[in-house]
Amino acid sequence: MIYKNAIRFLVLIFLQVLILNHISLSGYINPYLYVYFILLLPFETPYWLLLTSAFAIGIGVDVFSNTPGLNAAASVAMAFSRPMVIRSVSSGIGPDYTGTPSIVNQGMKWFFYYAAFLILIHHTVLFYLEVFSFREFFATLLRVLLSSAFTLALVFVAEYLGFRRK
Amino acid sequence: MRNLYLFFRRHYIYFLFLLLEVVSLSLFFNYNEFQNAAVYKLTTQLSGSVNSLFRNVSEYFTLGKTNQTLTQEIAQLQARMPEAFYKADTSAFFIGDTMYKTEYWYIAAKVISNSTNKRNNFLMINKGRIHGVENNMGVVIGNRIVGQVVGVSKHFSWVMSVLNKDSRISGKFKKNDQLVNIEWNGGSYRYGTVKEIPKHFEIKKGDTIITSGNSEIYPEGFLIGTIEDFTIAQDDNFNSATILFATDFNSLGYVEVVIDMMRKEKEDLKASFHTK
Repeated sequence: MIYKNAIRFLVLIFLQVLILNHISLSGYINPYLYVYFILLLPFETPYWLLLTSAFAIGIGVDVFSNTPGLNAAASVAMAFSRPMVIRSVSSGIGPDYTGTPSIVNQGMKWFFYYAAFLILIHHTVLFYLEVFSFREFFATLLRVLLSSAFTLALVFVAEYLGFRRK
Repeated sequence: MRNLYLFFRRHYIYFLFLLLEVVSLSLFFNYNEFQNAAVYKLTTQLSGSVNSLFRNVSEYFTLGKTNQTLTQEIAQLQARMPEAFYKADTSAFFIGDTMYKTEYWYIAAKVISNSTNKRNNFLMINKGRIHGVENNMGVVIGNRIVGQVVGVSKHFSWVMSVLNKDSRISGKFKKNDQLVNIEWNGGSYRYGTVKEIPKHFEIKKGDTIITSGNSEIYPEGFLIGTIEDFTIAQDDNFNSATILFATDFNSLGYVEVVIDMMRKEKEDLKASFHTK
């Protein structure tokens, strides 16, 4: 389990900085697939480890894209809200899941809401922090929504390609 | 004391969360100081090596385009060679003539990473301190502007692209030297905004805007772009316009760093004036 996650950590950082950072569609869309790592951390991961590994992958991406702290702040915010999102999307008493979150284990609908909420939280923090002004509120909102949709699509593609088996 | 300990133990996760956020945000907001830190120089070296590895491969896909740009630039340079000028009377010149002292020098550099899709875009180039690059130098391609050096390590430099929230370019209309400021408000990488055009000033579509030379970053006369569209403000003393950038920021292969040979002299003059 640890090895799988470590390999995923490295693969996603390099995928992000070498390929995805260079993707530019109409100046608005910018996918951040590295959050897939945080999405796929096992349910039983201790809360502190969740936060620190999110921080680690954020800083890792930051180092290569000249944005110290930006991706780290967004990733930590996302990891912090993960247990709450899991609780709210798994209706009822609460999750008794174990292992890695996935479409196969939790179902399409569950995984969609889970990934969509977390990606939206991550991208909102990321884009508004980068702009750091509400003057361009709606332009930034459009970027958040379009990029989130694109990242979500990539997450589903990765899920179906069986990326997580790496 | 025990209660305090229990309190921390129970809520440690919130403290950890706050700690990590404070670390990230202080890195983010102290970005300028961070660039001077030793750890930054190390990470720049590291990311520079990784990015140039990637660029070495991807370069092959754009060779045709690069050749074309280089050919165009050679043509422009040939037009500036002494042979290209008509010599009326060569005996009027003498060796060491201070009238013709070089003011600007250019270093060619390869772009190893570039973006146009963020709100704040940066480039990394493969020339650094050992090649003579310093902070605040201008970066151009041919006679068009690209950005400004904001961080230098031993072999690489970070360049703040014109496509950046913090980028303000001092420009002027070519037709009558009217000074304006050019900014980029996000969105398409091809269009920027021209600010502070006085009301009385007549704008036409297609007007050319060049650098003013006031900012000491770019020499005077470099091409910024042409007016694409403009709005007449109702309740403001200034009009604004949309500019189509002359530079294609999405396909930069090789750029040139502008070295102002008289920069120190200019700065000293300014400093001596301000201290009095």
